[in-house]
Amino acid sequence: MVEKARRSAVESDERGNPTRQWEVFVRNEEGDPMRHVGSVAAASGSEAHEHASRLFGWYAADIWLCPADEVERYSTRGLVDTAQERSDDDNGDDGSEEQRVYEETAGASEVNSL
Amino acid sequence: MISISKLLCDLDAEGDGLRYDAADDSEKPQITEEKQQRPVVVWNATRRCNLYCSHCYAGAETEAATGEFTTAEAKSFLDQLADFGAPVILFSGGEPLVRDDLVELVSYAADRGLRPVLSSNGTLITRETAAALRDAGLQYAGISVDGLPERNDRFRGEEGAFDAAVRGIEHCLEVGLKTGLRYTITEANAPDLEGVVDLLVEKGLDRFCFYHLDYGGRGAEIVDADLSPQAKREAIEQVADLTLAYHDRGEEIETLLVGNYADAAFLVEYARETFGEAKARAVYEHLERNGGDPTGERIADVDYQGNVHPTQFWQGYSLGNVRDRPFGEIWDDELNPLLEALRNREEHLRGKCADCQYQSVCRGGSRLRALAETGDLFAPDPQCYLHEDEVRGEGGPVVGGAAD
Repeated sequence: MVEKARRSAVESDERGNPTRQWEVFVRNEEGDPMRHVGSVAAASGSEAHEHASRLFGWYAADIWLCPADEVERYSTRGLVDTAQERSDDDNGDDGSEEQRVYEETAGASEVNSL
Repeated sequence: MISISKLLCDLDAEGDGLRYDAADDSEKPQITEEKQQRPVVVWNATRRCNLYCSHCYAGAETEAATGEFTTAEAKSFLDQLADFGAPVILFSGGEPLVRDDLVELVSYAADRGLRPVLSSNGTLITRETAAALRDAGLQYAGISVDGLPERNDRFRGEEGAFDAAVRGIEHCLEVGLKTGLRYTITEANAPDLEGVVDLLVEKGLDRFCFYHLDYGGRGAEIVDADLSPQAKREAIEQVADLTLAYHDRGEEIETLLVGNYADAAFLVEYARETFGEAKARAVYEHLERNGGDPTGERIADVDYQGNVHPTQFWQGYSLGNVRDRPFGEIWDDELNPLLEALRNREEHLRGKCADCQYQSVCRGGSRLRALAETGDLFAPDPQCYLHEDEVRGEGGPVVGGAAD
């Protein structure tokens, strides 16, 4: 399935939304591996634990939390990789004959101050 | 999403084409059975917004956020959704129109077979923008207005926002883009509801979506501004009355409710009182097929940094990030006990929801509101406004066989 072994770094230092994100790992039964179950937004570790407990306390015996921006991530299929692949496939041509960026909206962010 | 007009007026609404609970859009039947089981995906394309609304679930800011997708990353993300078979992508924000590449991304989504729809505050939609979005393949624009001018502008933190939104709506209608209103009902703006509908019908609008306040983002800070359950019931009754009044006059407006599935039960009761048992049964059966609250099943959200959420309102918890692994993989991972529980919530619901006779059309309402208010994921939705006898029933089937 994975055709290439080369993994690229996945950026993870800008995932606060806007509060800091904490990766959550839980274990239900003895002998199970810790399982990654997503992330919670929280200002501190204890707040993250409180938050994760409300979501997973009914299920988990163990809850581990790790700041999302402290996790080094490498993947063969991050968004950047697939964007690169598509760019290679397209060879600079997006296949459309029509211009996709309309001149008036290309500068829409300039109209930001209503 | 619950269509009052469909249920009560048997309107052959265009909205029937897509499944009921989908995003704010409408089209002729064209989505396959398989695709209907995939979620509508709300994408907060940017955190940036030109307004600062007091109830914003996304906590949008006037400044750009770090970590937003580049155009290339956004296209890869849209590829993920297309590969997964998501039927609809709802471009949301922040205000999606502040992204320079919105038209390009809408076009890319359409090319990939995703049905692009838009949620916007409308204030940046010029006639040219509306035409460009239409030409790019946009199928629907939902524009937010939250009260008559004075109240709306206070809510939205910008004088003139109401007039600018109405101009945006007019531009969409002028270029033939299907357009609807989004109105989040709170204690402050409930009195304006009817006036806003009247005003916008005059402008040619015929689709009105009423949102209940959910307790995420800045919405969580204004829980106190939410209507009381009783006032909420009255507001929904008002929308139902208003829908019937318009239809009686031959003006077939489409009215929809989002975000509180007590509305489903209420409409069965309303149909029974207004039209009788046979109608109540038809309404109930339709709602049962619809499936109740869609959180974690028929609706998904991806924020501007790639975090996947069970609904757009549940920004505090993420199932995973599409930068780490593809959306479909995250969404299908039922080894996540929370996701599994949301999809089998009947086994977990407590209190009055556990035994409610309307459970199959509501499914416990908002788990996020229950969590925010009680700390218990499976407690009853604090904004359930059903009367005790409606919840309990009287021993018989929820809808009887009067027509037999």
